[in-house]
Amino acid sequence: MPEINFTVNGRSVSVNTYPAKTLLDVLREDLDLTGSKECCGKGECGSCSVIVGDEVVCSCLILVGQIEGEEIQTVEGVGSLEQLDPLQVAFLECGATQCGYCTPGIIVAVKAYLEKLNRIPTQDEIKEALAGNLCRCTGYVKIIEAVAKAAKQQFV
Amino acid sequence: MRVSEIAMVTPKTVMECLMYLSNRGQDARLLAGGTDAIVQMKEKVGRPKIWINIGKLDELRFIREVGNEIHIGSLSTHTELANSKLIRSRASVLAEAAERVGATQIRNMGTIGGNIATASPAGDTLPALYVLDAELELQSFAKKRRIKIADFFLGPRRTLLQNDEIITKIIIKPMQENEIGIFEKLGPRRAQAISIVNVAIKLSMGSKARQCLAGKIAFGSVAPTIVRASKCEAMLTLGLLTDQHIEDIGKVAWREVSPISDIRASAIYRKDMAGALLIRGLYRLMKRWEDQ
Repeated sequence: MPEINFTVNGRSVSVNTYPAKTLLDVLREDLDLTGSKECCGKGECGSCSVIVGDEVVCSCLILVGQIEGEEIQTVEGVGSLEQLDPLQVAFLECGATQCGYCTPGIIVAVKAYLEKLNRIPTQDEIKEALAGNLCRCTGYVKIIEAVAKAAKQQFV
Repeated sequence: MRVSEIAMVTPKTVMECLMYLSNRGQDARLLAGGTDAIVQMKEKVGRPKIWINIGKLDELRFIREVGNEIHIGSLSTHTELANSKLIRSRASVLAEAAERVGATQIRNMGTIGGNIATASPAGDTLPALYVLDAELELQSFAKKRRIKIADFFLGPRRTLLQNDEIITKIIIKPMQENEIGIFEKLGPRRAQAISIVNVAIKLSMGSKARQCLAGKIAFGSVAPTIVRASKCEAMLTLGLLTDQHIEDIGKVAWREVSPISDIRASAIYRKDMAGALLIRGLYRLMKRWEDQ
């Protein structure tokens, strides 16, 4: 089986696996990074979201053979247990998580979104940016509040 | 064929890719954005022996003005189309369509070439490409050919593309000063929805208020391939596009389409909605034209 090299959360890794394995399965099974979740498996729910380069994508629809040499960021690379990312703090403060299954994907999607912005987004813009991430617990009000809060901290 | 048995090659140039295709075209399948191809692989409907990973062929990722045409590399993503200044200003109907595909993640991955080659009757960029008179450049190791987009589709998921060919670029005619366009889509929700009906409209406006000199209307998801609504198009120039005339044009739309009933909607609903979307699109276009 070929060796595939890429970077995850700033760390170089090389895995020996078949090239048509999804990036999500490699992250979870070979690299023990189980933050990213599988839900629909076809790009509709966003719970497998990771950042490749500087863009958020669905890791369940990327084959590991396609990411040779790429830089990947997963939820494990956003903040740390000791030092949470301001975005994660905002999610905690707003209570923007319930069962938590969708949260890693949402954190990653918001991270990618806010990094490309240079102003505070409107409610509608936040909704549009998160349209690819489903939460089935409780709705989106607190999630949107948390994103707005994090954005304010980032730009003020 | 198990997923673990599928091999992958990653060509560095288009020529290298075409060479693989000419040798192993039967066994291989091109993998660009993967938003459709990988779902098919998982569902066991499209498992090649070899994936040809063309995602990194940067020579097919460009959007530029060449003479009086706009050339779009087939690996341009929907995000790139929606954000391109050139497309937004000179082919706004395509930017609007690209913006309505999936959600951020899918738009970041999916390519326009993939949207075309997948040949879904519901593909959102396709009606926009029809009204922009798009042509496709298809290349194989031996030759290059350029064909009109309407000739490319043979049916749902069936195209003229040969085993040894790839779509290298999409050529569209930029919109003129007096031309306006709009893309309307109906899905179960705003994002991540496969269209139940979609429509692209492009109008050339005259000097009188609401005077339309010519227009193109293309419906998606209501026939085996995209359909041009020729009766509605003819009506566009019969009189000024007053609210009443717009309603009259919408009433004819059901005769232009031949939808099926499927898991997403019934045929009769699609016929009704084709008219409703057309009316909504024309109203909004008139509003935009008058506000300009």
